[in-house]
Amino acid sequence: MRVAIAEDSGLFRSSLALLLRSLGAEVTASVASGAELLTSIGGSPPDAVILDIRMPPSFSDEGIRTAQEIRALHPDVGILVLSTYAETSYATQLLETVRSGVGYLLKDNVTDVAALMDSLARVAAGETVVDPAIVRRLLERNRKPSVLDALNERELAVLRHMAEGRSNLGIARELFLSARTVETHVTSVFTKLGLSPSDTENNRVRAVLAFLRSAGS
Amino acid sequence: MRATIPSVPGSRAWHGSAAGRLEWTRWPARAGFWRARRPWLAATVVLVATACFSALVQGPQWRESAALATANLAFSLLFVFTGLMVGKEPDQRVTAWALMLAGVFRSVDFIDAWNGLWPAYATVFGGVDRVFGAWALLRYPNSSLSVLHRRYLIALTGWMLAGRTLIAVTSTARWNGYPPSSWWPALVPDEQLSDTLNYVVHAGEALGGIGLIALLVIRLTRTRGLDRIVITPITVAGIAAVIATITSAAIMAFSLSGTPNDAYLIESLVDLGIPLAFLVAALQRLLLIRNVTELTAQVAAGGDISAVRHALRSVLHDPTLDLLDTSDSSLRALNGRAPGRMVSYIRAGQGAPIAVVVADPVLARYRELFDAATAASGLALQNAQLQAKAAQEKLEQVKASRARILEAELAERRRLERDLHDGVQQHLLSITAGLTAAMATTADPAATAALSEAREGLRAVLAELRDLAHGIHPAVLSQSGLGAALEGIAERLPLPVSVTGPPRRLDAAVEATLYFVACEALANVVKHASADSALVAVRAGESVLEMEIADDGIGGVPADGGHGLANHGLANIADRVSALDGEVVIDSPPGRGTRLVVRIPCA
Repeated sequence: MRVAIAEDSGLFRSSLALLLRSLGAEVTASVASGAELLTSIGGSPPDAVILDIRMPPSFSDEGIRTAQEIRALHPDVGILVLSTYAETSYATQLLETVRSGVGYLLKDNVTDVAALMDSLARVAAGETVVDPAIVRRLLERNRKPSVLDALNERELAVLRHMAEGRSNLGIARELFLSARTVETHVTSVFTKLGLSPSDTENNRVRAVLAFLRSAGS
Repeated sequence: MRATIPSVPGSRAWHGSAAGRLEWTRWPARAGFWRARRPWLAATVVLVATACFSALVQGPQWRESAALATANLAFSLLFVFTGLMVGKEPDQRVTAWALMLAGVFRSVDFIDAWNGLWPAYATVFGGVDRVFGAWALLRYPNSSLSVLHRRYLIALTGWMLAGRTLIAVTSTARWNGYPPSSWWPALVPDEQLSDTLNYVVHAGEALGGIGLIALLVIRLTRTRGLDRIVITPITVAGIAAVIATITSAAIMAFSLSGTPNDAYLIESLVDLGIPLAFLVAALQRLLLIRNVTELTAQVAAGGDISAVRHALRSVLHDPTLDLLDTSDSSLRALNGRAPGRMVSYIRAGQGAPIAVVVADPVLARYRELFDAATAASGLALQNAQLQAKAAQEKLEQVKASRARILEAELAERRRLERDLHDGVQQHLLSITAGLTAAMATTADPAATAALSEAREGLRAVLAELRDLAHGIHPAVLSQSGLGAALEGIAERLPLPVSVTGPPRRLDAAVEATLYFVACEALANVVKHASADSALVAVRAGESVLEMEIADDGIGGVPADGGHGLANHGLANIADRVSALDGEVVIDSPPGRGTRLVVRIPCA
């Protein structure tokens, strides 16, 4: 897998590059800002990019803005935003800006190499990934009434795994269900959330957004 | 003369000054006599002339009854002296003349001792001194006579002169106790008719006296404030004098006493009460002015306008008195309520008026007292104004300094959070990543286990560090605003919290304060309220920002926040909010949840 990195902390950037290389990935670019990344991947886009959320020049949400620009220029490049902030609002903002092939991962979790590579593969495949820590927190909360109340426990579990970026097949493996049953649950989730059953890929993102929003507000 | 003093600023009214110099710009012009350059010399001349005149007109009376002559001389002198004193008061020249004429005519009453033409004169005109006395009693301290009083005086004078003339023409000098050699207008001498007339006329005069008592008592009940203090002794003296007059007339009419001179003597002595009463009234004024000293002491201790108003009301005996500041609204209010009232402006030095006094017009008669009182009030008000200004400046300084401290603290927290994030956190993360990379390069289980343990330790440190940085200043607050930050708090709480963020970004200090308040309040909800759900709502009005934090828990939080440790959080909230000039309201009925509302003014 070809990966490009934009991360303003040199120390973490080089460690991350080292880690990725040790995991067999090819690091095509390792730069300190979103602008540099856009320049460096112009010629041959990688499979996925890793973006720090806070970078120069304003040190606020450059990661999300860069993600938006990358998506506009390179629709097929997977985007994984790394952040130290375990805030739902950033994840929601990112998913609302970039609709597919995007993920929000806490930096602490990059040491889970399997999860890191899995997430990179998923965003490269056009799926959506939200850090399990954030998803867990949203589910553990004592929620107030929301659209999700219509879902039964099984459908909620399916939706949660969709939020974590798993495919129907992956969800089936996790929940020990047949792929067909998962597909039924997914369709049921879409219907209950009021999404048209035809546009499956976009619906996955919308369902995840509905999940994040209702849990976060 | 009293004009209704216009209520518009700048009109010709009293112009007070805090420096104690007050000008009375509409003070009535006085006749030359009263403005004499050396009033005491003029008074002495008048008194000496009166004494000589009194001694002369009584002439042979000195041989007949030196005591009565002396009493009459004293009467004349005291009345004239009192007249001179009263004449110095505003609008009292008429009263002064009435008093002096009463004094002079008392001696003239006894001119009959000279015989000749005079017994007839004394018989007819012997009561005019009483008319003048009644006039003075009724006139003082008003500036004019009422219609009733004027009619009473005319009727009394008419009755007296007509009745006594009839007595004279129906009698002879002898019947009246005069030597036959005296001239007498005995036109139709008829002893029985004369006696009857004598009784009727004197009974009528007695009734007139009783009428005067009634008029004086009625007037006393109708006067108020300072006038009442001044009128009371005069009324008492007047009543005593009337009773004495009636008694002496009765003694003479029924010949209850041997010599009429004794009755005259007693009447004269009682009548001396009248000038004494006028002098007592003058003394009262002096005592009242002394009260101003008390006023000064009362209000010098930094009294505000209502304290000064209260002091003025008490020292000027005018409960209707009003003291207004010179703000537009109060002056507008003044335009509607001033007709018939005395309006005067209190100035600080030569400057603009600092207050307006609206008082009973009777106070115009107590100029010295009023001037002294308003001057003292002016000083007190000016003093209070200066103190208030200094306090206001101090307050502004403190507010500005609190706002600066708040901003500095906020900046410092943000810097700390950034340093932690960009420095230590990234450093630790890179070490974690490095360890992970190292783990991929070794197959040694012991090394892998050691590296894994180190990495888990680092992850724990990182989690703690992230919480620490978030606690110092949540980056989401600066970046995404209060709404997102409040969502962040709600996510971490073990109960459902509905969050309504502000419709727009707010000032950084305000966002930080509201965030802090929400954290504290929601922590209290979790710890103490036993609530099932809670809500946080931020509403932005035009001039005020309002944040409401409510729960459905057990309530019962004291409204003042209490002083116990449990309410330390509330005290912190109050401190933070007041640093932004805001207010905190807690509504927490037991068993019905707690509602905390924070209001912060915004430009």
